[in-house]
Amino acid sequence: MRLTVFNGSPRGKTSNSKVLLEHFLSGFSETEGNTHEVFYLNRVKSQEEFVKAFREAERVLMAFPLYTDAMPAMVKTFIESLEPLRGREANPPVGFIIHSGFQEAMHSRYLERYLDKLSRRLGSPYIGTIVKGSSEGIQAMPPMMTRKLFRSFHELGRVFGETGEFDKELVRGLAKRERFSWSGRLFLNVMAKIGIVDTFWNSQLKANGAYERRWARPYADSVQRGDGAR
Amino acid sequence: MKLMVLNGNPDVANDSFETYLKELSGRLESAGHTVTALQLRDMDVRYCIGCFGCWVKTPGECSNARDDMGTVCREYVNSDLVLFASPVVMGFTSALLKRVHDRLIPLLTPYIRFFDGESHHVSRYDKYPQMGLLLQPEEDTDKEDLAIISDIYRRDAINFKTTFTFTKLTTEPVEEAVNAIDGV
Repeated sequence: MRLTVFNGSPRGKTSNSKVLLEHFLSGFSETEGNTHEVFYLNRVKSQEEFVKAFREAERVLMAFPLYTDAMPAMVKTFIESLEPLRGREANPPVGFIIHSGFQEAMHSRYLERYLDKLSRRLGSPYIGTIVKGSSEGIQAMPPMMTRKLFRSFHELGRVFGETGEFDKELVRGLAKRERFSWSGRLFLNVMAKIGIVDTFWNSQLKANGAYERRWARPYADSVQRGDGAR
Repeated sequence: MKLMVLNGNPDVANDSFETYLKELSGRLESAGHTVTALQLRDMDVRYCIGCFGCWVKTPGECSNARDDMGTVCREYVNSDLVLFASPVVMGFTSALLKRVHDRLIPLLTPYIRFFDGESHHVSRYDKYPQMGLLLQPEEDTDKEDLAIISDIYRRDAINFKTTFTFTKLTTEPVEEAVNAIDGV
């Protein structure tokens, strides 16, 4: 099987998308004869090359983070470049990986609907969408915290490499937390009160000497400051 | 009411979209609203590169690009309503408009708390403008497309601590949008 991969993260080669893809692709490559090629959509000037790669692809996988509840603008630019291929016979099957910093999978479900529709618009068979929450910080976590996640992506890639499909159980397992339960919220609210949930951001703010300015409002004019009419 | 129009029409040759927006702005101004319309394709707006500098280096401001987004952000937080206006391209608002949208995250903070049982970013400002959507359908736009786009914007309004108020189409009479905006 020949897989054409589009990494749609604006962070490109330092992205969490790349890390997740690497584990997926190592599983994919276990099947003899499988090959893949990766394109980075943050090279926004290379649209022609991307479209050619899509047109000639046997199967396509696109991976990117959720940006303001949708796809990053760089991914939308690529999708618009595909417009001439809309409805063409023999467009390749496409599958997607969406990940986000939010823990709940539900944030990504709205974009998933768009991607399903996009596949139909292109006339590409829809392989499916893998949704993964809590992706921010995976590169800073100790290996024991990411072992299970990476194993799941490896396994997804391995099954995909054999069948060309996403394993439904594994996909369900990755998106396990659709919403927070009442007790999950309570736990995190308590953690927030004692100042634990913000440490990921606060330590970066402090390292940059910006912690004191963390609530800065550089664009507030008189209306926002509440001191009357301008 | 102070209204900002983010014109996400990427195509100079798309006259009908511009004509509609001009008429809409005129009608709103004669009704006493203040309208600031930004022609995004003529502005310098880089892609968000996901560095999070706006959250951890220069809180509230992009630390990567010195471009026209400062103007957009200032206007945004000081408006009562923002109209996201775009032709539908491949089933969603334009990449041009999305480029601006991605760059609005300095207006929030990185912190996460629960809002109505869902985790969302904590506000940076006291208030945010309400959101409206104006779309020009493409040839094959159907009800499902409009529902998908509106639902994504409705989700985004939750993150931006505001209400999503309406989706209007440029194929409808301008009155429809004027009435929707008057009703906000």
